[in-house]
Parts: sequence; structure tokens; C-alpha cells
Amino acid sequence: MKSSDKFYIPLDVKTAILKYIVIIISIIYTIQLFYLQIINNEYFDVKSKQNSIKGIPIQPIRGVFLDRNLEVLVDNKNTYTVKIIPAYFDTSKAKYIEAALNLENGTIVKYLRTSQSYSPYIPIRIKKDAPFKNIAWIEENKEFFPGLTYSVELQRSYPVVSGSHMFGYLKEISKKQLEEKKDIYTMGDLIGYCGIEKTYEDYIRGEKGYQYIIVDSRQRQIGRYNDGKNDKKPQKGYDLVLGIDKDVQKVAEEKFKGLRGALVAIEPQTGELIAFVSSPEYDLSKFSAFTDKAYWDSLISDPNVPLFNRATMSINPPGSTYKILAAIAALEEGVIDENTIISCPGSFVYGNRSFKCHGAHGNVNVIHAIEHSCNVFFYKLIFKIGLDKWAEYARKFGFGQKTNIDITEEVKGLVPDTKYYNKRYGKNGWTQGFLVSLGIGQGELSVTPMQLALYTAIIANNGVSYQPHIVKGYLKPGTKEIVPFTFPKIQTNISQRTFDIVKQGMYLVVNGHGTATSIKMPDIPIAGKTGTAQNPHGKDHAYFIGYAPADNPKLAIACFVENAGFGATWAAPIVKEVVHAYFNKHKNVNYKDTSLVKSRKN
Amino acid sequence: MKIRESLNSRFDFYIFIPYLILVTFSLLAIFSSTTNQTGPVAYNFYKQAVFAILSVFILYSVYKQSEGFFESISFPLYVFSIILLIAVLLVGKTINNSKSWLSFGIINFQPSELAKIATILYLSKYLSDKTISLDNLKDLAKSIFIGILPVVLILLENDTGTSFVFIVFIFFIFFMKGLNPLLIIVLSSPFLIIFASMFGIIPVIIFLIIILVTLILLKPYIIIATYIFLFNVIASFFFQYIFNILSAHQKKRVEVFLNPEADPKGAGYNIIQVKVAIGSGGLFGKGFMNGNQTQLRFVPEQWTDFIYSVIGEEWGFIGSVLVIFSFALILTRISKLFLTAHSEFSRLVSVGIFGYMFFHFFVNIGMCIGLFPVIGIPLPFVSYGGSALLFNSIALGIILSFYKHKVSI
Repeated sequence: MKSSDKFYIPLDVKTAILKYIVIIISIIYTIQLFYLQIINNEYFDVKSKQNSIKGIPIQPIRGVFLDRNLEVLVDNKNTYTVKIIPAYFDTSKAKYIEAALNLENGTIVKYLRTSQSYSPYIPIRIKKDAPFKNIAWIEENKEFFPGLTYSVELQRSYPVVSGSHMFGYLKEISKKQLEEKKDIYTMGDLIGYCGIEKTYEDYIRGEKGYQYIIVDSRQRQIGRYNDGKNDKKPQKGYDLVLGIDKDVQKVAEEKFKGLRGALVAIEPQTGELIAFVSSPEYDLSKFSAFTDKAYWDSLISDPNVPLFNRATMSINPPGSTYKILAAIAALEEGVIDENTIISCPGSFVYGNRSFKCHGAHGNVNVIHAIEHSCNVFFYKLIFKIGLDKWAEYARKFGFGQKTNIDITEEVKGLVPDTKYYNKRYGKNGWTQGFLVSLGIGQGELSVTPMQLALYTAIIANNGVSYQPHIVKGYLKPGTKEIVPFTFPKIQTNISQRTFDIVKQGMYLVVNGHGTATSIKMPDIPIAGKTGTAQNPHGKDHAYFIGYAPADNPKLAIACFVENAGFGATWAAPIVKEVVHAYFNKHKNVNYKDTSLVKSRKN
Repeated sequence: MKIRESLNSRFDFYIFIPYLILVTFSLLAIFSSTTNQTGPVAYNFYKQAVFAILSVFILYSVYKQSEGFFESISFPLYVFSIILLIAVLLVGKTINNSKSWLSFGIINFQPSELAKIATILYLSKYLSDKTISLDNLKDLAKSIFIGILPVVLILLENDTGTSFVFIVFIFFIFFMKGLNPLLIIVLSSPFLIIFASMFGIIPVIIFLIIILVTLILLKPYIIIATYIFLFNVIASFFFQYIFNILSAHQKKRVEVFLNPEADPKGAGYNIIQVKVAIGSGGLFGKGFMNGNQTQLRFVPEQWTDFIYSVIGEEWGFIGSVLVIFSFALILTRISKLFLTAHSEFSRLVSVGIFGYMFFHFFVNIGMCIGLFPVIGIPLPFVSYGGSALLFNSIALGIILSFYKHKVSI
């Protein structure tokens, strides 16, 4: 160490350098601690609580479905669901569990794989609706299978009626839905998948509760957070009140046993559905539990397509039931009046084709044409009305568009007009001859049974009704008071006189010498119209539309029986039974005085 | 030079009291983080408490020794520790990836702890000879050999953190002895350049310019210096390669330090949880045994390298700063000896002890509060570990012993 060396550092300077390094580092660290512990304390405090406080969701009780007399249609029952928490589960033991629970080999691994992108601490369902012996087995063998657990879950039960197509069912929420509604749902939650379970999901879902617990770094529960003071109780979902009458629905379902078709009964004044059947039905209780693969396969391969909602999705020409519409259009447009006589020689020749009637009706007016379902009268009539006028009236009654019933599974059907034919066949590619079939409800016209029911209801209530709906409201929690949903009014602005005329014809169909006199009942006069729609693919479809009582309708019904034959033979008797069931129940009830009516008016 | 007889002036309470504070915090934190655990960890507090009592006695008996005693044992101790380091390579026990432990029944002992003190003593002894000059290349090479031998053995044990500590205190001793500071920069540049290159190309370029300027100023050593510079350039260009030969967990730690949120469940987990623990402590802390991060074990092995987070969470800003203050006090008191030491030997020993304690303090607390990457070295006097506490207490005992003979100025 030469003092002349220009890099020589005196001892006191070296000491000072080292000392001040210590002091400066200490100050920097103190500042950083101040920044972490004082300035950002709140942020880290929240983080540390998030670490150790976990909210365990408690599923709310889903609202049940009640019929118009507050009798239970869809209820909840407790079932056991076997679950696995992937974080603790040893996959090599899966085969023992599968054997014990009667699951297919590899099921567990399959489920684990599908939930890989979620937190491994979220339990996944491996078996629903497990019998009690499974639960006993889990309890006995718990320590050998860490991560294997079970819970009691609410599941739907259907005590009286099937109603599969209107009630719909629940499914585990999809990834896409979960992304959209992640503040409400978590993985594994059930969500309404179709029917009114889907439409009214927000009302019947209820609100999840949370139990806050303290967990350690391995997510093991250490205790409750704040003695449970921050816990949130689950809120039960609203109970829905349906317009459906349990007994009427039951009769309608029974009458359809073994048949394919649909029936929709509407209260004309309100648009409420009293019965809704699409046959064959399927067993919803098998859906509310874990969808049994064998059952699902049997539904999919069934040639009768039970999953298909015929009431709102099957489209066919309505046949003679559509003659009422042509009559209304003609009367309303003034091309005929009730005295206009058209002659029926038994057939109608247009161009070089002859269109048959089912008999020579001679000179008939509109009332008798309806009563006897005279084809020739309506062949001729549609030329007087014109295609586009006719289509305009069809749309007034809701054809060619969705009725907007409160289930989403619905199709529009088709009402052809000039624009449609021009588009389909080219401007000169079609002739007026196309109209002949339309006049009697055949041809390219296609409607759903639901649309026919609405049409019947509008006729029954003289041109006014409401958008048809299965659900009328929900019960105010803890009371019997119904909070109604509101539905748009339907108005046709068709004169009362026109309705009086066609309704006279419809009365005679059953009570005169018409096509459905076989269903005449002495005490409850039914008015209606039969229909038999030709079907190029098989036997004719049978239709009957009607309402009762004829003078003051409480019930409007459309009935469709697939590939059955004559409407009068197949469809009309079912309607008779349904009407009978309804009035049998209500004969002693003075309708207007019940509280139900009051609340509905609110 | 007057030596007063009262204990007050001979025994430095400004070192002893912060030492007791640190040991107390250590025992509280170990108790808090381990007693609710199951398995052998649950006994950590009792083991450490026994060692703490033992350490105070040993500190006192070391304090009683004369400077000559330390000088005389330095060489045999050094040789002994080298033998132990070799032994550990042959029969050592691997804990946490490092084969650095000798096991004597229930007590595990790290020979590198002993080697630390032995190397400081012997290197200081060697350099305290007035005829030795670091300007002399032969002497420099010899002293580097004394220092580097244990480093190589410890590196072979796969204990990178501890070998870093050795390099740091060797530099501190060289600095005090009078090694040209520019040469210190140049000698340490390979390590610094690797560290700089973790942060990208611009720090590396700046650093290379600094070295270049240093080299121009450093004409007498131009040949060695040029070699070192070339090495640096190669190091910086081949950093990617060097980085790849780092073991996977070290690599991960570096990456995670640069961006801990990139992998919050994996390697970044420790850093995040430690910061959350400390940050959530607030001004006064959550209270003894009340830190949820600690009690619910969100920080793994919290009683070892991350023990500062227990203090931060349960004792808050007040406790955390008290720990920093205690270290600052001990270190500045040691630095006093640089001027007042009775001999060159005691001055160099003091700076060696200062160097390693400072580095432990600087790195450990720095990594806990997110200012330094995670290098697995413990916090002296505080982290769990009996032999470490014992040897750190011996080191402080040596310092206190030097205080007896310090020169008043």
C-alpha cells in the first residue's frame, strides 16, 4: 500500500463506505416496508383474506311449479350425488369406485378430464341419484378414497302429470353459459335447459347462499370465518303458478297414450294454457337425475321421436280447421255475407283438374259450408278473397309467426302469399290453381297445433285474446298471493257479426248435422271444426279445434293426432274428454268470485 | 491507550442487545410457525430454544478469549473445516437439494458454517502479515486460493447461496486489506455481469462500459484485466448458455423474480405469499400467533429462509423495522472496529464477519420484501437452524472480544 498510489483509499473512507452502505440499505428496506405494510396494507390484507377465506356455495331451493289451483305439478326431492374433488383424488383407485357404484369403466377419468380447466378443488359429479347403499359404502370406505364425497341435492319430481315438453329439464351449465354469467353460476351448477325451466330460470333459480370458512394452504377447512356472522343464507326461488289444470292435463295425457300428436287447451279470455300435451311424452324424472345413457339412447332411437315437441314444433297443413279462417276473411272483406249461396255439385274443376268434395252439398251458405265442411264452397271462396288478403287474415290469427308462448322451442310455420310463391317458383312459375288447396287448408300451408289453439281461442273470444302462456305468475314468498306476469294483448279488429256467423257454423258442426255430432254433450255445448289433413307420407293427420261452452267459452282447444285418420274419429273424442274433465271439475265453482280471478285482473 | 475495566465499556451492549432482540424475534417466529404443525417440525422451537441458550453462553466464552487465541487456532481450524467440507461431499446428507449437512444423530450440522469463520480467521491471519501485499501477484494468488478452496467445495455440495456468501466476504477482506478497488470491480465483474444480464441487454452494455473505463484506469494490471474483460464479454454473450446450465430451480427463481405474477401457482408462489404476508401485517401486525398467512401455512418452510415474513405479518411494520434496526446497529458497531481495531488481524476478521452478515441480511430481507431474487440463504440469528445460530453467535463473540482491546480514538 503506497500512499502515492492514486487508488489508495484511506481507512476512514473505507469504513465510512461500508457503514453508509449498511445505513442506506436499511433506509431503502424501511421505505419498502412502509410501502408494503402501510401504503399497500389494504391490498395485501384483502389478498391474504382471499387466500384463507373461502365461500362455500349453498345451493338454493328451486321454485316448484303449481297448477292454477295451486296444486303441485313439479316438486323437489332430495337425492344423493356422488362427487370427486380432483385435488385429493388418486386416479389409480378409480376402478374400485366404479365397481362399487356400478359405473362404467373409465367414467371417472372421463369426468376428471372434462373438468381439467377448472380449479381442482371444485367437486365434480360422478353419479347422481345414487341409492342409499352407495352412500353407505362411501361412508365405510371414506379413508381409502380421499377426495370421494357426496352431497344431498335437490332434484325434480313429477308427482301427477308428465308435462315433459312444457316443463323441460335442467342440465349442467355449459362452459359458454358459464362465461356469460360467471357472477351467478359456478361450474357444475344446473340450469334450465328447455321448457319453462329455461324460460323462467331467473325466477325459479333463487339465490345461492354462502358459508365462509377458513382454509389452510392445502384448502383444508380449519374453522368458520367470523363465527358464521358473514354467512349468507340461500334464497329459495319463486314458485311458479301455471295456468295448467292438473286434472285436465292428466286426462289429456291419458287420452294420448299410444298416439302421436299434440293438444293445447287455452283459456280464451286470458291466453293461459290449461293443458299442453305433446305425445309421446318422455320421463322427465330420468332427466332430472343423471341422464341415464341407456334411456337417452332409447329416446334418440325411438321412431316416434318423443323428444320432439309436437305442440310447438310439428308443422303440417291444418286441413278443414282452416276453413273458418277463409270464412272470416270472406265475410270481413264483404265478398260474401251469411246469405250468399254457393252451389256444391260434389266437385270443383279448375283448369283440367277436378277437386273433390265429400258429397254433393247443393246450395250452401257459409254457415252450412262450415257445418258440413263443404270443400267446393271454400275452393270457390278463396278466389273471391284473393291470396294476399287470405294470408293477411292468417297472420292476424298468428299463423306464419311464432305465438311467443313461454317456451323457446317453437317454429313459425308457413303462410304462403304472392311474395312467397314468386320467390319459390319465380314470377310466372305458379298459377292461381295453387289457391284451390289452400282454401281447404291443404297445400303449402303449415301450422303448429299451438297456432291452431291460439286461432281457436281468438275465435272463441271474438277476436281478442292474449299471447298464450303456460305460466301466469309466481307466488309471493310465504303467501298464496299470485304476482302475475303480463302478456301482450292480441286484437284482430274483426267485427262481432262475422264471429257470430262462423261460430254458428261451428256450433252446428257438433250440435247440428255436422261432422262431429258424435261428441255432442247435452250439458256442455261444444262448438268446433274437424280437419283431416292429407299427408303424402302416410295416413292423414286428424284435427279438431273447438271451444266450450259454445255461448260463453271458457276453454279453447286444438287437437292434432298424427297419421290417425279422420279428425272426427280421432281428434274430436279427445277434445270431448278434455272438455268433460274441465267442466266436471268446475261445474260447482262460481268462477268469477275466486281470488284467483281477482289477482289475475290486477 | 487506556483500557477501562468496567464491563460497560468492555462488553459492547450495542451489539449484545440487538443480538438478543433478534434471537427473541427468532424464537417467537419459530414458535408461531411451527407449533401447530405435525411431525418433527413441531419440535423446532424447543430445539432452537436450547441452541439459543447454548449460543449465549458460547458467545460469552468466545468473548472471553484473547485475540492471540483466535490467531493461533486460525490455521488448524481452517484445515479442519476443509477436511469437514470434503467429508460432507463423501458422507453428507442432502437437505433441500444441497449435500451440505453432516448428521450426528438428531443434530444436523453444516460444515460450511464453521468454514465461514475458519476462512475469515485464516485469510485475515495470512493477510495481516505486513510483508504481504495484494499488489504482489503471488500474494494475491495465494490469498485467492485460501478463499476459493472452500468456495469450490461448497459449490460441489450444490449450495450456491453459501458460496456467494464466501465470495462476498473475501472481497470485503480484500477491500479492507487494500486491494485496488478497481481490481475488485474487475474481479467481481463476472458475477455482476451475469446478474446484470438477467435484466436485459441494456444493463449489460452499461456494465461493460463501466468495466472498460475501469480497465483503462487500471494500467498496472492491464494483462490480467484484459483477460477478465474478455471473459466478461464472453459471459455476457453466452449468458443464455450459462443460464441454461443453472439448475432448473435456480433458473425459475430468476425468472420469477423478474415477473412473479407470471406463474402465481408455481415458482412465483413463494414470492407472492411472502409479500402478501408482510404487506398484510400493517403497522402493528396481526399479533403473535395470529397471522393467517403464517398459521395457515401459505408460505412453505416459513421458519427457515422466509422467517422474516412471520415477523412482518405478526409484528407489522414496527417489528420488521426493529429487526432491520437491530441489524443496522450490529453492523455499524462492527464497522467501528475497522478504525479502532487493536490489530490488522482483528480489523480484517471484523470486516469478514461484517461482510457475511451484511450479505445475509441484505439478500434475505431483500428477497422477502421483493427487492431481490430468491437466493436460499437464511437470516442470521433469526432463521431456524441450531448450528447456524451457534456459529453466528461465535462470530459475534469474536467481535465482542475485539471490542475489549479496541483503541479509543
